[in-house]
Parts: sequence; C-alpha cells; structure tokens
Amino acid sequence: MTPAEMIRVEGVSKTFTLHNQGGARLPVFRDVTFSVRAGEALVLAGPSGTGKSSLLRILYGNYLPNAGSIAIRHGGEVIDIASAPPRAVLEVRRRTMGFVSQFLRVIPRVTALDIVRDPVLARGGSEAEATEKAQAILARLNLPERLWNLAPATFSGGEQQRVNIARSFVSPSPILLIDEPTASLDAANRAVVVDLINEARARGTAIVGIFHDEDVRDRVATRALDITAFKAAA
Amino acid sequence: MTLAVNPAQLGADPAPILSAGDVSRFYGERIGCAGVSFDLWPGEVLGIVGESGSGKSTLLRCLAGIDRPDQGEVRFAGRAGGMLDIFSVSEQERRAMMRTEWGIVHQNPRDGLRMHVSAGGNVGERLMDRGDRHYGRIRAAAADWLARVEIDPGRIDDRPVQFSGGMQQRLQIARVLVSGPRLVFMDEPTGGLDVSVQARLLDLVRVLVRDLGLAAIIVTHDLAVARLLTDRLMVMKAGRVVEQGLTDQVLDDPQHPYTQLLTSAILSA
Amino acid sequence: MTRRAYDDGRTAAYNYAYLDEQTKRMIRRALLKAVAVPGYQVPFGSREMPLARGWGTGGIQITAAIIGPADTLKVIDQGADDTTNAVSIRRFFERTAAARTTEATAAATIIQTRHRIPEQPLAAGQILVYQVPLPEPLRRLEPREAETRKMHAWAEYGLMHVRLYENIARFGEVTTTYDYPVAVNGRYVMAPSPIPKFDNPKMDMCPALQLFGAGREKRIYAVPPHTRVVSLDFEDHPFRIQSWTEPCGLCGATDTYLDEVVTDDRGGRMFVCSDSHHCETRRAEGHHGPMLAAAASIHLVEKEDAA
Repeated sequence: MTPAEMIRVEGVSKTFTLHNQGGARLPVFRDVTFSVRAGEALVLAGPSGTGKSSLLRILYGNYLPNAGSIAIRHGGEVIDIASAPPRAVLEVRRRTMGFVSQFLRVIPRVTALDIVRDPVLARGGSEAEATEKAQAILARLNLPERLWNLAPATFSGGEQQRVNIARSFVSPSPILLIDEPTASLDAANRAVVVDLINEARARGTAIVGIFHDEDVRDRVATRALDITAFKAAA
Repeated sequence: MTLAVNPAQLGADPAPILSAGDVSRFYGERIGCAGVSFDLWPGEVLGIVGESGSGKSTLLRCLAGIDRPDQGEVRFAGRAGGMLDIFSVSEQERRAMMRTEWGIVHQNPRDGLRMHVSAGGNVGERLMDRGDRHYGRIRAAAADWLARVEIDPGRIDDRPVQFSGGMQQRLQIARVLVSGPRLVFMDEPTGGLDVSVQARLLDLVRVLVRDLGLAAIIVTHDLAVARLLTDRLMVMKAGRVVEQGLTDQVLDDPQHPYTQLLTSAILSA
Repeated sequence: MTRRAYDDGRTAAYNYAYLDEQTKRMIRRALLKAVAVPGYQVPFGSREMPLARGWGTGGIQITAAIIGPADTLKVIDQGADDTTNAVSIRRFFERTAAARTTEATAAATIIQTRHRIPEQPLAAGQILVYQVPLPEPLRRLEPREAETRKMHAWAEYGLMHVRLYENIARFGEVTTTYDYPVAVNGRYVMAPSPIPKFDNPKMDMCPALQLFGAGREKRIYAVPPHTRVVSLDFEDHPFRIQSWTEPCGLCGATDTYLDEVVTDDRGGRMFVCSDSHHCETRRAEGHHGPMLAAAASIHLVEKEDAA
C-alpha cells in the first residue's frame, strides 16, 4: 500500500446464500481489486443489480465478503476491515471512514442540531465549534431554522436526507463512502451536495460513491470503476 | 502490505473487562447454554439475541455471577489489574463485586428494586452498602441520579409502587449506576413497556453508556433494540452461539440460517 | 446442682427449674457460643413451656438453664415488677426452682426483663435476661432467612441504614423508638429486643452479662460484660435518646424513662418513671415529684409515700 493510498481492495468476492430458500446462492462479484488515493473520487458504475451498493457496504464492514481483504489507512495503521474485530471496525468508522446514505437512521429524541454536532465533538471539537459548524452547514443545505431543535423523526424524506448529509460533511472523514446522496433533493440542494463533496475531496478525503444522476456523477468523479467487469458466474 | 491492528489505536485500555471461556450450564439433560466464549472490552456494548428459551438469560446469570456455570469460566478485570475468575473467589467477594463493580437491570423491576423503600433509599442503598454514612450526601447523590435518569427529584420519597413501568426501569438504572460500576447487565430492559416509553428508555441507556464509558451486556429478543444500543451481537439458539459480529453486519448480512430466519421474521430492524 | 426444697410435694413431677438437665445443657452450650461470638444469633432447640410462645418463653428457658439455689431473681415487665406477666414468671421460678425473688435491682443476681433495662446501673456479676420476640434485625427488610444469614456472615449491613434513611426521609429523624438496632463489638448488628432506645446506651460497656432468648424464633444471643454496643446512625443524624420536658411526677427524676399515665377522664395525665422500683426507691429516699400529692389523693400511690 503506497502512502497516498487510503483504500486498497484485493480479491474481494461476494455471494449471498439464502439458507431459508433452499440454500439458493446469489453470486454478486468475484475478485474485485482496486485502490483509492487521498483526494480521489472513485465512482462505481454499472447497471443496477450488479452489486455497487453491496461493494460499498463491504468496504464499510456492513456486509461480509466471502474472500479478499479491504485495507484501510486508519491513522498510522492499516486495518483489514474484512478480518478486524468489531471494535476495530467501529473505531475506523468513528475516526476514519464515514458512510453517507439516503436514509437517516433516526435516534429518538435527539435534535437535528445535536445529530450534526456529534461528529465534531467525537473528533475532539469544542461545544462552541460544534454548534457553529453545525449551524453553518444546516443553513447551507437550506434546512429551515425552525427544524434545527426538533428531532428529525417527523421530518420529510428530503429534510432527513439533508440532516444526514450535514452530519457526514460537517467534519468530513478521511474516507467517505457515498450511496445516492441526492436521490430526493431538488436542484439547488443537489448543487450544494456536489460542492460539499468536491470541497471534501479537495481537502484530501478519499471518496467512493454511487451516483445515479449523471450530471452529479460527472461533476464529482475523478475516476470510474465499472463493476460489471467483476461479474461472477451464476 | 502489512495488516496490523494495533490495540493502542482501539481505545485507552488494551485489556478486556470481561472474558468468558467455554461457559456452559445444564439443567439435567437439557442445555441452558453451552460453550460460550467471548471477550468484552471497556466501553463496548454487547447484545445477546435469540428467541425465548435460547439460553440468553441463563448465560447472563452466569456472566453476572448469579449462577455458577457447570463448565468454563468467567473472568473479570480486577481494579488492581489482572483477570479474576469470579467463581474462584469466595461468595463474599463475589457479592461485594456484584454490588460495586457491575450491576444488573432486571426485566421485572420487582426483581431489581425494593418496592417498599423510597426511590431515594433504593438509589442510596449501594452507597450505604459500601459504607457511606452521611445522610445528606447520600440523599444528594440519589437526587442527582434521579435527575440523570429523568425522574423528578421531587419524587425522591415516593415508593416504586407509585411509579409507572418506565420510571421503575429508570429507577433500576439509577440504583445500579450510582456506585460507578464498570459493567452493566440488562435483561430485556424494555420488555413490557409501551413503544413510546421504550424509545425514551433506550435513548437514556444509549447516552449513559456513551457518557460514562460503560461496558454493557444487553439481552433482548428485540432486534430493533439491539441495533440501537449495541456494538456487537451474539445470536443464540438452543443454548449455543450460532453467529456473532458487528451488530449491523449480523443484522444486514446474516450468515447463519437461524440468523437469516430471525432477521427476515421482522419487518425492519 | 443440689436438689432441695423445691420438692415440696406439689412440684415433684418436675426437674429443678422445670427443664430437664439435658435441655439445660443444650441451652448452656448455646449460651457459651453466644457469649463467645457477641451479637451472633445461635439457634437452639426451644422447648414447649407452660405458657404461650410470645409470653417470654425464650427468656424463661435461659433463666431456667442458669438459675441455681444461690440466685436471687427479679422479673420486670414494662419496667414494672407488679404486672401480671412479671408476677407469673416470678411465681413460676418460686415454685419450680424455689427461687428467692426480689424487686430490688441491686439485690438481684438474675434479672429477667421485657421492654426495659433498670435505671439503676447494673454491676459485675449480675445477669440480665431479655425476652425477645423478634431476634432478626434484618427481617423486616429481607424476608429470606438464608439471605439474612449471609448478610450477617459477611457483615453486609447497608440495608440497616436504608431503614434509618427511610425514617429520616419520611419524618426528618429516625423514628424507631424501641428495638433500635445496634452493632455489637464492631461486628454483628443485633436487635436489642423491644427496649426503648433510651436504654440502648446502658448496654454499652455494661459490667453485667446480657443474654437474649427468643423462644418462638429459637435463637439465643448475648453481649458479654464490657462490650461495645453502638446504636446505628448517620454522621449528620447522630443517635439520640428520648427526652422529656418535665420530671417524673412522683419522684421528680429528670434522667429516667417516663411513661404517660392518664389520671382521670377529663384529660388529666402525668409522666412517671417506667421503672417502678427505681421510682419507689427515690421516693423512699425523700425525693418528691410535683404530682405526688395529687397522685396520692386518687390512690395511685400509697399515702405514706406522699408523706
């Protein structure tokens, strides 16, 4: 792994086995190998159903690969997400690798502002700094100020998604995994998200993303990886 | 390329707080739990899931020092350093540890509270157990903990029988945490509570565990509870652990047939 | 033990002091163990006695096991020597052990008591025998016997303070006024039987031997002479004994435990020493209380006392 490499994926394969449906096997991909350097934005390409989301989830430790390794540069260490113990994976997520999805996992009773403040505090920022940064990014994403001190459980899909994006970009991790961040956003907010991604990349964040919107994809990607090349034989 | 997991990167304390080795307990011919081994680290929250009768509570009782396993050992990190087999020490020492080093939040508040002692007395008991003899300070500590578990300190002299189910559970939590334990066991902490009351309790537990850096072991059959509160999951079936790993990985990409059945049996976790 | 005048033709059917020698030996063994482990409750094979359990059978069995021809027995009930129970027990030992009896505290070698410790300080060589209804101080808090035994074994006494805490929380002070728990010799927590907490300090470093018998609960325990007996309390709510704003109406004492006595049906009342012998002794010595003349006029006391 060269010093600039943040992610190095080697020989990763995934097959789902559905034990409760007669042991049906659903091969997804085989022998996926690539690496991502700091400041790069790798876009996963290919038609839906080819396993782009599964690959992203494997990088995050959310899915378990059947083979291969996922080396992540975590501080001064290199950690294999595929074999690391849970607490190591959690520590990597806490400090190094963020996941931006379309869906906000709502925590009861925590306000939007506190959700967004949290990553700044977790990385050692002061209360004042956390509040300032959280307010700035929520404003930038056009979330009405009256919602800031409410828990997002009752927000619309688009509002929840913007809280989620704000949380991910308020203090961007060295690695960001992004899955369809703009799915239910209007053009103005889509543009803000593109800016946020590019700003993070410019500061050295390594990005792996899935973008259905071609325009967004073109404005974000520095490189593309066609996942169909690793299509596993059924 | 070297793949090294440096423990120093994974939190300040490199030693586990609890270590279970081949813990087994039998009821005659029947297996309560068998061959359970794992390490729990400071600050980690472990969930144990499985359906009724899968051995979750039996395992919890062994881990918490209530029942002696028929086989295997449960080791706890002593304050002086080193791991201590909790069943090799005298019952007196074990009881002392149970009152100070860890605590249990029971499913039924009646098992964890003195129902005819006031809320303040319930919370203060562990302090008096360890020798605190200043009424004013014991009472102040009790009032402080009631506030932290969101019970109006004005109700300090009310008895648990006058509390709702959710308040009784929160009172149990205060009663356990007041002595500053490093590990908390929870047996179905939200069982029997309304959904809205559950959410409040779960959020409270989540915040307390994070703020106090507690290690916790939570037994539940509710996968949504497990997802919200735990870092790691063990899935039990017929007394044995069939799968374990990172909570979201076990729930989103289950490997074992039983776990797949369990996760598909609910609409969303 | 010599067999002597008790055999007056009426009680020959009984052994000396009613109990058979084997039973006495068993009780004495329990007493020795109790003295050796101050405050520890020793189980014993409580016997049926010719009065109902709860009427002092534990104390009577202890007295029967230790009394000898040379002893002088005093029996007090509610502090008085002349209540039915005290009179019956005294008569029981007069008949079965030909016991010498007395009402004078200083003259007694064995004092069997319920509810009080005499006001007059006890001396070395005397034995105070308590009749105890509920020997387990933890019982009201922990119903399981196996559990209370473990709590005693390992001195897990936090729960006793929970009880005191509850009292202060509810009433602003510890309202337990009798059977107030004590720690004996820095180790066992003990129920001192239903004596008023006023009497608790008298147990501390007492030169007399104190024996406790619970017949129904089958327990014996003891406080040897000159043993520390400390009433449980909090640093900021120290143990206090009861006090009264007025002296004894009959003898004028200001340092004794007083009972309230209703003198008529128009709300009249007076406070008098609960220890009847102590009060009489003081009056004989010439002490007068403010109500003495009035009490004599309604025959609460004999005329010559008031003179």
